Amino acid sequence: MTLDLSLSTKQSLDLSPTRTRTLEVVDKSNRLKSTSLGGKMVAEYWDNIFTAKERGKHVVWYNGTALNPIFQAAGLEWCHGEAFSARLAAMHLEGPAQQAGEEYGYIAELCSYARTHLGCAVMTQKGITEKQSGIVGMVDQEELASKLPSPDFFVNAYAGCSTGQQWDAMTYRVFGKDFPIFNVSLPMIWGNKKDSGYLRGTEWEKTPLYVEEQLKKLIEFIEYQTKKPFDWDALSENMSYIKRASELRLEAMALCAAAPTPATYWDWVASIAPINFLPANQLLVDYFQAVKDEIQQRIIDNISAVQNERYRVYFDGIMNWNKLGFLTRKFAEFDVAVVAGRYTHDSFWQEPQLIDLDRPLLGMAQHYLICPINHGLKIMEELLLKRCDEYAIDGIAFHSTRTCRAMTNPQHILARTAERDRGIKSFSFEGDVADAAFYKDESLESGLVAMLESIDQQRAKV
Amino acid sequence: MHELESVAFSVLETVAADPIGYAVEWKRRTGRPVVGSFPMNFPSEIVHATGALPVIVQESRTPITEGRSLLPEFYCSYTRSVADQAAVGELDVFDAFVLADHCVQLLGAADVIRWAKPETPMHFAQFISSMDDPWSGAQVRDKVASLRVEVEEIVGVTVTPEALRVSIRAFNANRHLLRRFYDLRKTGRLRVSARQLQVLVKSSMVMEITEHTQLLESILSGLELPSEPPDSLVRLHLSGHFCAPPRPELLDLIEECGVLVVNDDLYHGTRYISTDVPEDGDPFDALATWYLDRNVSAPCGTRVQRNVDWDSYLVDSLDDSGADGVITLMAKFCEPLMLYYPELRKVLDARDIPVLLIETEHEGLAAESIRTRVETFVERIRRQKLKVPTLA
Ligand code: SF4
Ligand code: SF4
Repeated sequence: MTLDLSLSTKQSLDLSPTRTRTLEVVDKSNRLKSTSLGGKMVAEYWDNIFTAKERGKHVVWYNGTALNPIFQAAGLEWCHGEAFSARLAAMHLEGPAQQAGEEYGYIAELCSYARTHLGCAVMTQKGITEKQSGIVGMVDQEELASKLPSPDFFVNAYAGCSTGQQWDAMTYRVFGKDFPIFNVSLPMIWGNKKDSGYLRGTEWEKTPLYVEEQLKKLIEFIEYQTKKPFDWDALSENMSYIKRASELRLEAMALCAAAPTPATYWDWVASIAPINFLPANQLLVDYFQAVKDEIQQRIIDNISAVQNERYRVYFDGIMNWNKLGFLTRKFAEFDVAVVAGRYTHDSFWQEPQLIDLDRPLLGMAQHYLICPINHGLKIMEELLLKRCDEYAIDGIAFHSTRTCRAMTNPQHILARTAERDRGIKSFSFEGDVADAAFYKDESLESGLVAMLESIDQQRAKV
Repeated sequence: MHELESVAFSVLETVAADPIGYAVEWKRRTGRPVVGSFPMNFPSEIVHATGALPVIVQESRTPITEGRSLLPEFYCSYTRSVADQAAVGELDVFDAFVLADHCVQLLGAADVIRWAKPETPMHFAQFISSMDDPWSGAQVRDKVASLRVEVEEIVGVTVTPEALRVSIRAFNANRHLLRRFYDLRKTGRLRVSARQLQVLVKSSMVMEITEHTQLLESILSGLELPSEPPDSLVRLHLSGHFCAPPRPELLDLIEECGVLVVNDDLYHGTRYISTDVPEDGDPFDALATWYLDRNVSAPCGTRVQRNVDWDSYLVDSLDDSGADGVITLMAKFCEPLMLYYPELRKVLDARDIPVLLIETEHEGLAAESIRTRVETFVERIRRQKLKVPTLA
């Protein structure tokens, strides 16, 4: 992604220090309106999934990378494990699933995405058993967590995190190994060679070919399961929508290099579900067109995403889904615009130029490998500094995600790199991806204030 | 339980207590490189075939200091310790590092090493962890080939098939001897503590393998057999604990509670020595075969394989050893074990086999609370054994 901004989008910011200002507890954030359509699309998508069995559809449960264009082309209904866990957490409805997981034996320190979803599996499995035994009603079907249709098969393709693959191996066992599972193995881009780097080097050239071959095998597996020939034209068509939606998303993101920014990281978080697993179609493209249009209009109308933006911050870490609205307001309260983040900007079809509609599987394989937890340290450092430069970042918020070691892995070193190479300050706060119990407000607030004060001091020196 | 007390055993005890000290001394003595590898599936034979010393990097007993600011506290004790050792310079003896396992926490620690020791090569030959796919074998063979190139470059020596065959035979012989100790324990012919067996296995991960074998032979030849344990002891199987050994004090504590440990599936135990490398055919392919075979002979929660189950393997082991119950030792925050544990518990519960979970940490041992839990557990098993079946 290159950022091409005319100077007219840059405005002078009020950069007076944090300590001399009185913080008002008003909501100073100004989220995009267009993303609310995404919320509606996502809700409809899940409602549709819940009735898949009644409609006689094959259901695949999957985790990790965005295989959905393949599933869509095969006429399947797809349930993404993390997406459902995230949805439950964002709606504060994760409790019953996590409790079911705990009763089954999963310890609270285990990835909360996994244990939420495994809890759903336990509930779904219980539902199947009850139906088979004729005892219906023990599971409250009104509980969202118990609504997932049982799978016909599983597909796992998890980049960067060993837990991601093991999690599905356990889901497979929770269902008594009754449904087949297919594993796509995604090697880490370790980046140890002299020629290694982001999208370059021998390792980068070779590895996607290996993954592409596995995707072909996956398609054979799906053909066998569905007893239907795979529709390759449909896959190319799906990828054409994804490519266009992705281009629009990146163009819209690039507009946020403007200061003050017209949209924030939180708007991009709200747009994850559409780009990550909603059906690839014109609606998806229209969604990102609307987001881009709104951002463009905001620039014309001089509307910022955070009232009185004084600091531009990068967010590193997976999203804390229980706290989306809260964090949006919290950062804005301190005049902080969280402009970009690893989870949003270095994921989700972020290199659309790699998608070749005549050979869609290769571009897909390449995207699966550039998942932001699948790089070694050297590439992580390269990407972080690039984003900091693009978005004129003043500071970094590291979300030290208690049960997601994959996202947390490089954070301490990245913090040192940003300070060493760019003089960028950072802080770390404790939270989790889908377990609110691990969130520590005091660690966020004290860390944020300390970081902003260091930025003030830096500015005073200049 | 003193059968292993001998000069040879005390040498192994010293090495197990100070692996880095041994590596430094070996390097001084031979002038050859030392290559560090990481648990749990690295084929040390390929490094040995170059003449370098392959050492599986161990968790250190020293408190974690610098490492605190490099990996968060919610990582397993092994990875936190490795990061700390890298940061404080304890790993300086190593001329290179090699790893084959993808555990997300281990890779975090490996990145800390890369950052702390940028001049030291760190090669990752990522062995596929999905074991029964049609392409699994080819993938591992490919990685063994890349490993060969890397170690040749590191050491500056070509790994010939002949040299590798010699190394394979040396490691097989060593595993064979170690398994004899485990078999003798299982059959009750040898009273040996879990701590002592851990010393044997841990030292084999560090020492030059033929030197280790000679010491094992010396210990074996001095053993006085048989020595039957008292019937009053409750027979237990120790399960779990990947990558790092459980603290010896914990093993002692368990055995002090009226327990006879008869078998285990610990990494610093039968898991490590479970499988030999085939000695016929192409020796490089044999290393790939060994990797795939290992998950069949001792299934592991870090691998995924449809047709192999750790739970049923565990139940078979219990049948074989006559263990009355299981203590699962879990390094706190170890995700693969956290994920698999409910499946193990489910199968054990279904067979009415008692199981106790104990979490371990780098920082220490809550000895008294663990002792109370183990004693209660042992009492429960005793009562269960005394139960007279009632007529329906
Ligand atoms: S630990 Fe993080 S990356 Fe790994 S499976 Fe869980 S959420 Fe995904
Ligand atoms: S398998 Fe468990 S003990 Fe080993 S490195 Fe991974 S988390 Fe740590």
